[in-house]
Amino acid sequence: MSCAVTRDHLSAYVDSELPPEQASEVARHLVSCAECASEYEGILETVSRLQEGLVPYRAPDVLRARIRAAIREEQAGSEPVARRSRYVPWRAIAAAVVIAVVSSGVTFVATGRRAAEPAVAEEVLASHIRSLMPAHLTDVSSNNQHNVKPWFNGRLDFSPSVPRLDDAGFPLLGGRVDYVHGRPVAVVVYGRRQHVINVFSWPAPGRDVGLSQESRNGYTLMHWRRDGVEHWVVSDVAVPDLRQFVALLEQGDAASGRTTPETAR
Amino acid sequence: MAAAPDSVLEAFERSIIPLLDDAYTLARHLLRDEHDAQDVVQEAYLRAWRHYGGFRGGDARAWLLTIVRNCCYTWRRSARPEQVAVAYDDEAHGADEDEQLAADARVLAESDRAELELALAQLPREFREVIVLREIERLSYQEIGRVMGTPIGTVMSRLARARKRLQQALGIGAREAS
Repeated sequence: MSCAVTRDHLSAYVDSELPPEQASEVARHLVSCAECASEYEGILETVSRLQEGLVPYRAPDVLRARIRAAIREEQAGSEPVARRSRYVPWRAIAAAVVIAVVSSGVTFVATGRRAAEPAVAEEVLASHIRSLMPAHLTDVSSNNQHNVKPWFNGRLDFSPSVPRLDDAGFPLLGGRVDYVHGRPVAVVVYGRRQHVINVFSWPAPGRDVGLSQESRNGYTLMHWRRDGVEHWVVSDVAVPDLRQFVALLEQGDAASGRTTPETAR
Repeated sequence: MAAAPDSVLEAFERSIIPLLDDAYTLARHLLRDEHDAQDVVQEAYLRAWRHYGGFRGGDARAWLLTIVRNCCYTWRRSARPEQVAVAYDDEAHGADEDEQLAADARVLAESDRAELELALAQLPREFREVIVLREIERLSYQEIGRVMGTPIGTVMSRLARARKRLQQALGIGAREAS
């Protein structure tokens, strides 16, 4: 075997990927040729440095959670429609109203069960997970509430509140219109480090409903209704952070003018 | 598509979910961006889940990495709308990111890894790919050929050239300048 041919085969020889005949030819050549042997040493050293030094990355836990949730979501979405549409919201809505604790400020209903309407919670969660897919997060992308808020005009029959919460570590990312519970709804999107917080709102008649919280598939959902507007907040940020966020949202809401249904339309 | 039975979900959970680090590692090196890599791996896993019924044994890692690789390539072509990427990256985690990078850099500086990763990142993508599949994922030539969709001869020559480039970049065996 010539030097040129040998050199072409050295890399595969290192990996024991040559057919036995070629491998023994290379081995014979290396014994008799100092230059090729030195070339071989160089490749061997390179490979061992690469294999020792290049280690796998560890995937972030949040990615693992996102994937599991997306798969479960797909599982749920592919169930026969009849089975899912059996849920009648009214009973659950009534239950939620009964459970609701109306008071000033934010009241938590401690709950391991679903305090609010289950089908809506599912739809809101589905929308949240969908929004995490590439290019699904926002229709209007801006960190300026004066861009985001007007964007909803003409797209919806009400105007969501878009308080600025950057200083508290919740930058505004943008907004989108989504379809939940049989109607278009406003979604205002905030960030928290690498996490996304989706804030859903739409007008809903009925009495105020206090804040309730539940977790599904590793996500936290918070729900309340105030002054005729339904609010859902979904995220995988830590629960204390999300509570702080909701409290700020309510304050900002009160300060910057309430979410009001536009009766003129 | 009908919902898969629980047994399928369990099998997927047992055989494919544990390969997440491998999938993420390939995407990180191909895309050279942490967030793109996460998005692509999520998409690849959903695709893997949808086609899991058609996976008839064999090497699950090579099968999954093929999907990840293809997703990386399509991702490059379509890419994320720029506005979203800008708003997300700049606003959502600017400061934390710097902190994270600094911490990472400290750890990396202690090892050989920083130098190796830098050298690797400067190679063209087809060289990066073959190096990751061989030196990190430790696939056989046959499996690499399947993942990249090339004959084994191409795997062999591409890997040899990629190693040569890295050897030079790392200053190993400098006497072999001829």
